[in-house]
Order: sequence, then C-alpha cells, then structure tokens
Amino acid sequence: MRADDVTLEWGGALLTLLPERAVWWAAEKTLLIADPHFGKAAAFRFAGIPVPETSHDDDLERLSHLLMMTDAQRLVILGDFLHAKTGRNEGMFAALAKWRERHAATEMVLVEGNHDRHAGALPEDLRIPCVSGPWRLGPFHCRHEPQEDPDAPVLAGHLHPSFRLSERMGTSLRAPCFHFSARVGVLPAFGSFTGTHGIRPSQNDRVFLVGPASVIEVSRPKQ
Amino acid sequence: MKSRWLEWFKKKGWKPFPFQLEAWDAFRAGESGLVHAPTGLGKTYAVWGGPVLEWLEQNPDQTKWTKKTEPLRVLWLTPLRALANDTAESLRAPLVDLGLPWSVELRTGDTSTAARQKQRRRFPTALVTTPESLSLLLTHADTREKLGALSCVIVDEWHELVGTKRGVQAELCLARLRQWLPGLRVWGLSATLGNLDEALNVLLGAARKTKTSRLISAHVNKKFELKTLLPRSMERFPWSGHVGLGLLPEVVQRIEKSRTTLLFVNTRSQVEIWYQALQAARPDWGADIALHHGSVDRKQREAVEERLRAGTVKCVVCTGSLDLGVDFSPVEQVIQVGAPKGVARMLQRAGRSGHQPGAVSRIYCVPAHALELVEFAAVRDAIARGEMEAREPVERPLDLLVQHLVTLALGGGFHEEQARAEIRSTHAFRDLSDEEWSWVIDFVTRGGKSLKAYPQFRRVRQDGDFFTVDQADIARFHRMSIGTITSDAMMSVRMMRGSYLGSIEESFIARLKPGDGFSFAGFQLEFVRVHDMTAMVRKSKKTARRVPQWMGGKMPLSTQLARAVRVKLAEAKRGVFDSPEMKAAEPVLKIQSAWSLIPEPDELLIEWTETRDGFLYFIYPFAGRLAHEGLAVLTAHRIGKISPRSFALTMNDYGFALMTPEPLDFDEKAWREVLSPTMLVEDILDCLNSTELARRKFREIARIAGLVFQGYPGSAKSTRQVQASSGLFYDMFARYEPDNRLLDQARREVIERQLEVRRLQDSLTQVQNMKLTLRQTERLTPLSFPLWAMWVQGQVSTEKWADRVRRMSEQLEAEALRT
Repeated sequence: MRADDVTLEWGGALLTLLPERAVWWAAEKTLLIADPHFGKAAAFRFAGIPVPETSHDDDLERLSHLLMMTDAQRLVILGDFLHAKTGRNEGMFAALAKWRERHAATEMVLVEGNHDRHAGALPEDLRIPCVSGPWRLGPFHCRHEPQEDPDAPVLAGHLHPSFRLSERMGTSLRAPCFHFSARVGVLPAFGSFTGTHGIRPSQNDRVFLVGPASVIEVSRPKQ
Repeated sequence: MKSRWLEWFKKKGWKPFPFQLEAWDAFRAGESGLVHAPTGLGKTYAVWGGPVLEWLEQNPDQTKWTKKTEPLRVLWLTPLRALANDTAESLRAPLVDLGLPWSVELRTGDTSTAARQKQRRRFPTALVTTPESLSLLLTHADTREKLGALSCVIVDEWHELVGTKRGVQAELCLARLRQWLPGLRVWGLSATLGNLDEALNVLLGAARKTKTSRLISAHVNKKFELKTLLPRSMERFPWSGHVGLGLLPEVVQRIEKSRTTLLFVNTRSQVEIWYQALQAARPDWGADIALHHGSVDRKQREAVEERLRAGTVKCVVCTGSLDLGVDFSPVEQVIQVGAPKGVARMLQRAGRSGHQPGAVSRIYCVPAHALELVEFAAVRDAIARGEMEAREPVERPLDLLVQHLVTLALGGGFHEEQARAEIRSTHAFRDLSDEEWSWVIDFVTRGGKSLKAYPQFRRVRQDGDFFTVDQADIARFHRMSIGTITSDAMMSVRMMRGSYLGSIEESFIARLKPGDGFSFAGFQLEFVRVHDMTAMVRKSKKTARRVPQWMGGKMPLSTQLARAVRVKLAEAKRGVFDSPEMKAAEPVLKIQSAWSLIPEPDELLIEWTETRDGFLYFIYPFAGRLAHEGLAVLTAHRIGKISPRSFALTMNDYGFALMTPEPLDFDEKAWREVLSPTMLVEDILDCLNSTELARRKFREIARIAGLVFQGYPGSAKSTRQVQASSGLFYDMFARYEPDNRLLDQARREVIERQLEVRRLQDSLTQVQNMKLTLRQTERLTPLSFPLWAMWVQGQVSTEKWADRVRRMSEQLEAEALRT
C-alpha cells in the first residue's frame, strides 16, 4: 500500500486503515467498509427533499478505485448497504450492476444492518449475499452493530464515529475516525451523504482520525 | 355613528388623541398606513376604531343587528403568540360594551386542532393570528372563498417583524391577500424606529405606489428617566461578566420598595440565574417572584402574565419575551440588568412602566461590569439627542420563497406568471431576477436545475404553467414545517410524570449525562434520558450550577450606541466624568489609561500581550459584536494567508481578540494592510469557504426551505430515514451543486446580516483615516480582560489538515507528560 498508510496490529492480524474510509487486511486480500447507505439521496427526493445524486456515483467510484488499488479478492460490507425502501430505484441498481460487473471476480458479502432489514433484499444478480452477524472472518466476527463477543474480536460499523480534537486555546477540529477498543473495532461510515456521531473513547482505546488524504492516530493524555 | 364609538371612549374616561382621530378617518377613506407611538398610548384602538366605525356606519340601525356574528372582516397579525390573548381581550372590550355582533378568536400555534377546524368552517369577525399561522391558512384551497368579506389586515408590532424573515413571511401572505382582495387595507403598528418610512414601504410593497397611504405619528413625548444602581461602597467594579449579581442586594432593595417589578435580563440563561439568586436571597418571597422567557411552557408564561395584569406578583424576571405589546398597567418599576445594546430597546423597556398618561417612564439599570456603566451613560445621552436605530429589511430570502411557493401550490395551485408578479409586488422580492425565479421553480418541481432532473423527485407538480401539490404526505410535511422559522434544533423538556416544562437547545441536552443536574423554568432538575426527541427530567433537591444556553438573543451594540460610547470615553480621557455612571467608572478608566490608553474617537487601539496559552492581540474598532466577528475572521484569515497558523477568536461589542501559539511580528504598516477595506468582499467569500460560518447559517435556511425535517415528539420514527443535518446538506451541495442558490443565500446572509458587512466596510474605511496605536501591555487591561475571559467563539486555521492534527496531538502528548 501507500507509504504513509497506517497499519495496526489488532486481533491477531495486520490491518491497514485507509483514508478512503476502509480497512485493508492484506494477508487475506480482504477490504472492509461499513455504512455506504446507497439510495439515501433518492429516499430524500422521494420525500420531496432535493439532494444531488452524484454523491453515490462518487462513492461507487471511490470503492472501485479501492478494489483496484488493493486488488482485493473479497469485499466485506459491515451493514447498511442500502438506506431505505423509498430509496430503491432503477438508476441506482443499474449503476450498482455496472459497478459489480467491473469487479466480477471479487467475492462480496454484506453483513445485514438495520437499514438493510427495512430496505429489502438486494437483487440476485448483484451477487452480494446477505448474512446476519456475527459472521466469522478469520479470527474476527463481523457485525453491523458494535457489540463485544466473548470468543472473537469484532469488526463493526453502524455508529458513524467521529472525534473532536481540542487544543488549549479553545479551538477544535472534528473528523470521522476509526475507533478500536480491545475487543471491538468500529469503522467510519463509507457513504459521503452520512452524518457522524461523536465518540467518547475510553482510556486505552485507539482513535485514528480520517482526513482528506491521510489517517492519523490521535494520542490522548493518559490519566 | 362616530358618536357611539366616541361615547364608549368617554365612558372609559378617555379622550381620543389626534393621531387616533386621524387614523380612523384615514381608514374609512380607504387608505392604508403605519401608526407609530410609544407603548401605552392607545395604538391598538387607533387602528381598531377604523373597522368598527366603518361597520357602525354601514349598519346604523341597531334593531337590525343579527344574533349571528359577522363574517371575517379583520385579520390581526401579531409577532408573538404570547401577545395574542391580550390583544384579543383589548379588541373584545368595546365590542361587548357596544353589543356588536362581532366575534374575536385566536389562531396560533397554540390553538387546538378542533378549534382550528371549527374556525375553518366559520371564521370569527376578527382573527388574531401570527405570520406562521396565516401562512398555514393559505395552504388550504378554500381559504380564498372564506376570506371574501375581509376588509383589512392589521400588523401589530411591525417594528419587531420588519428586519426578520418572519416579516418577509408576512409580506408574502399580504401579497397573496391583496391579489385576492384588491381593496384590502393594511395597517401597521410600530414603536419608534429610525426608518419608519422604509418600514411602511416593506408593509405595503408595490401598493405603496398605487394606493393612498400615510404614516401617522403620535407626537406625544413621554417623560423618560434612566437611573443606574451603584454599589454603596465604591469598591472595584468587575471588569467582565454578564450576570451583574454583584448588585443583588441593591436590586433586592429596589424590588422590596415597589409593588410590581419587571426585571429584564439579556438572555434566557440569565433569567434562570437571576431567578435562582432572588429565591436564595429572599426565600420569604417564594412564589411572589416568577420568571418568563420564550422557552418556558406557554401555560406557565400565561399564568405569569395573568398575575402581572392582576398585580399579584412582586417581580418577574424576564427577557425580551415581555418586551412587546401587552399593557401590564400594574407594573410600577422596570429594572434592566446588563448591557442596554440599543437606544430604542431601552426606551421600549422603560415604557413598560408608568403607563398612566403623564407618568414618567423610569428604568433602573444594573451594570454587570465597569464598561456597561459607560453604556448606560451613553444611552441616556443618545435618547436625549433622539438617536434611534433603524431595522434593515430582509432582501430576497430564497428559502422562504421555496416554502411559500409550496404553500401556494398546496393552497389551490398557482399560475407561474401571476405568482411571479405577486411575489415581486413584495418589498423583499421586488428585485427578484428571472434566473432566481426559475431556479426556485426548478427546485420545488424537479429538485434542482432541470438539467439534473431527478425522476423520483416529488414535491410540487407542474402541468403546463399550473403548479399544485398532489401528495398527501408532502402536504403534511409542508404544513408541519411552516412556522419553524424561529425555533432552533429544540428539544422538549418533560417531567417523568408527564408535565411539559418548555424547550431547550438540543446541543445542551446532548452534553448532559443521565443524573446531571440543571436549572430550568425555575426548577432544579435532574436529567434522566432522551426519549422520542424529548428530554425526560425529574425534580432534584441538589442545586445545580448548570443553566441551559440558548443561541441567539445576542444582540450587538447598535451603531448609534457605539458612537455614543466612544464620545463618553473621549470625555473621560479629557477628565470629564459628568454623570453618576461615569464617576463610578472613573477608577477603571484610569487604570485603562495608566496600563494602556483610552482611544480617541478617531483612534484605533491594538493591545497585545503574552500569556501561558499563547500570544493575544486585541483590536478595538467599537463596531458591535457582529461586525467584529467578521473582522476577526477576516483578519485571522488574511494573516494566515501570509503564514499558515491557527487562531482562536473572541469578540464583544468593543473589539475582538486573536489568540495564536506563535507571536506575530507586526508593525503598524502590517496591521494596516490586514485591516484594509480593499478586496473585502472577495476575502470574506474566501474565508467563508474555510470556516464554519456559512455552514452554520445554513441551518436556518435548510429548515425554512424544507430540507431538514425536524419532526416532533412521536413523529420521529417515521421520518428518521429522511433526516440529515443541515451541515451535511451544506457539504453535499457545496461539493456536488456549488451553484445551488440556497448556498448562495447562506453566504449572502452571513455577509450582509450576520457579519454586517456594511458596518464592517465602514469601520475598515474609517480605520484607514484613524491613528493606529499599538500597545504591548504587561497584563490584561480593563478593555482586553473581557475578551480574554470569554469562551472561544470562532476559529480560523490555514494550516494543512495533517499538520494541524499532528501539532494538536503533540500538544496533548506534551501536556500529558507534564502532568
């Protein structure tokens, strides 16, 4: 991967945290993302609220770029692939089908999220089987909602985590982040039309801020 | 027939003022207009007399008066729901005494659904309502037919609406009504303003040119007296602070002496703080002390207003929520805590007391810190000179136009040409361009420019040149979103057992953990949890320091008052201390002179000093807080362009502070360059992209244009999937649709209204001709201390993202090592 990418040893594996808001597990040639929320813009428009569609095209483009850059053999989506039933539309499924075609050889799997449950199943021909969490992936359990499991470290999404970094003058900066505690790792939301939720990490948690082109670990004062 | 009405006046022991007679005649001559008079002089009856007299003339034979009430003739618009009750009472009084077959009813956000439905079957003769409720009424297709007999609209407290988007909402509704009823008369009521003629233009729009109208002035001078409470011992005055509790004993004493007191403070949180302090100081007063502000539950507010009228409450701690209208005759005394902010405002507040003809309006002022002494002295001078502030009307808010077009489409539909002409007949949209119009039409019909038409978009349906709404859920969403103009992201506060207390900003609730205590609505509460957009609380015995903060309500010092303050400071510099306030401020001003200097009116002072946290630069243009916010951002941005760095910013009415970890090596010439008026707008636009300002402003715009659906308790679940923060919308538009006009509006609003660019431009131009004095001070001065002591209110960073994160992270590490 790129020279300044951040690699983390966690749960018995080496994981690379990418500024494109994805985790790359090189040993298994597996790419993980969480919460793309496809069709969210369309769901808004269905309710009479105008949102530009292009965001989803961009998100797909970013995902394609990641798959090609890493030459991933497997893509794991940690839930909320679709946003809502009212967001389902032909245009989006056509774009998804075309995208799937480009990466026909890649194995893809969706760990069902709360939004997926309400949004309905994906078309068969997308070939993205939907499984319920916890779903076993090597030493990990993949889940949508972060929840500790006694027998395996958990990789999850759902929270759309972000962190606020403050300095003494009183200024601060907020950005999406990867949040790793001893047993659970939470990924930032992949979709660009998604909000974030501020986290309050515990003592020994590790927090990695995601910037425009880099991921930086935040060291926090230990009490 | 004038006699019957005059007899009623006589029976009340009143004699009509000339301005009332003039207004009655003008109304019956078919004119429209604006009546301005101080509170308590009978403005209400000046305009109410017109329609009543006219009806009496049309129906001279009392034996023919029917039992059935007359159809809707008068719409009475009021800016505050809280006022509606009292207004209705005043309007009813003569009707009842004269036995007129007229009815008066309210229709506001507080009116029950059942009562509203009943009204829509048959309206009362006079309907007292708010701009939002009127707008809501226009979403019903049958409203036009039901308003057939309407002869006039009266807009109360027009000075409160004229500079706001709610005022524009009123303008748009009036344009619609004029379109339906060409003979409609429109009358406004206003307190004194610096721009009354313009206020009349805004009220009448294009009709000002085509119809006869007039401005009627009361020409009655009320006596006014301003006194400042000073501590008995002249010990040192605090240099900063906004609460003024230092003078609590003196305030208690004043309250003691009077039967009824209104204690005005400047923010809702100060209401809570003062209420608790008075309770603690005089537990024996108990329920004789009450509080009143806009976020407290309506029932509690109404109960307090009722007690004020009845004279059964000793003191009410309140904000501007009691500024308006209502005639609380028993109020004997008014106390103002903290900065006066504006000349007109002080006059209006003083006017709450001494309502009896010939009585003196008296206001006691409580300075929270030393410099407010100067402000009070300055306000007295400005009033004596008759310098009054103007309210700038709002120009072309496209968010409201988006909302209004959906309203028109829903309320029976509209034809494009006709609607455009109607919209352009308002003052706010008189210069609406064809491009802006097409953009708004595209936005509501196709969700964006027609090039990017979205097939699934549904809001307004277009058939040729006719526009309608045909989806029930769109109609419901729209009706729910009208009227949310003023509310920020608010959360209801409810007791575990169910009673509703009021609303607090969501951001405050978000910072609470279960078990945390805070005081609100006069109660000590414990936060339990959030459930369905509602903060559940229970009463607590512990006394909590925490008090909710509400955004807004932070008015800047007016230009008029700022000028008067500089004059007072210049006098002090020459050793003139001619009032009790200035004498009290003398020791502090002398310290300012000794440690730094007091700037002349034509001098710009820049102080700087070094502290543990970094280097602090204080610049004092005396241009008001809003303009200083713009100046602070602009200056930080310009400096940051020369050498990338991060600044924390604070600002108040006198100046602003830039704080930065590394020193600035700036001489007079360098300062003059960063404070230059050239490229002002370009540079501001540039900083808007790099700061949160426009993004924050977009909150309100997104809400009005119906992008953000706030929902209400209980509705949260069904709408959650289409909820996104306005910030996210802002980012999406900025990235994928940068020419979106609502973004443009956000920038324009920030520039024109939030940062007061005109004032900013003026002060920068003035700076060019000013003497610039740089002073390094050993410690903080009376002028700089308040700027240092406040929370950081903004930041500008020109560092690269990664550099900044690394630096901040290293700083945290270093701190951790130290401890």
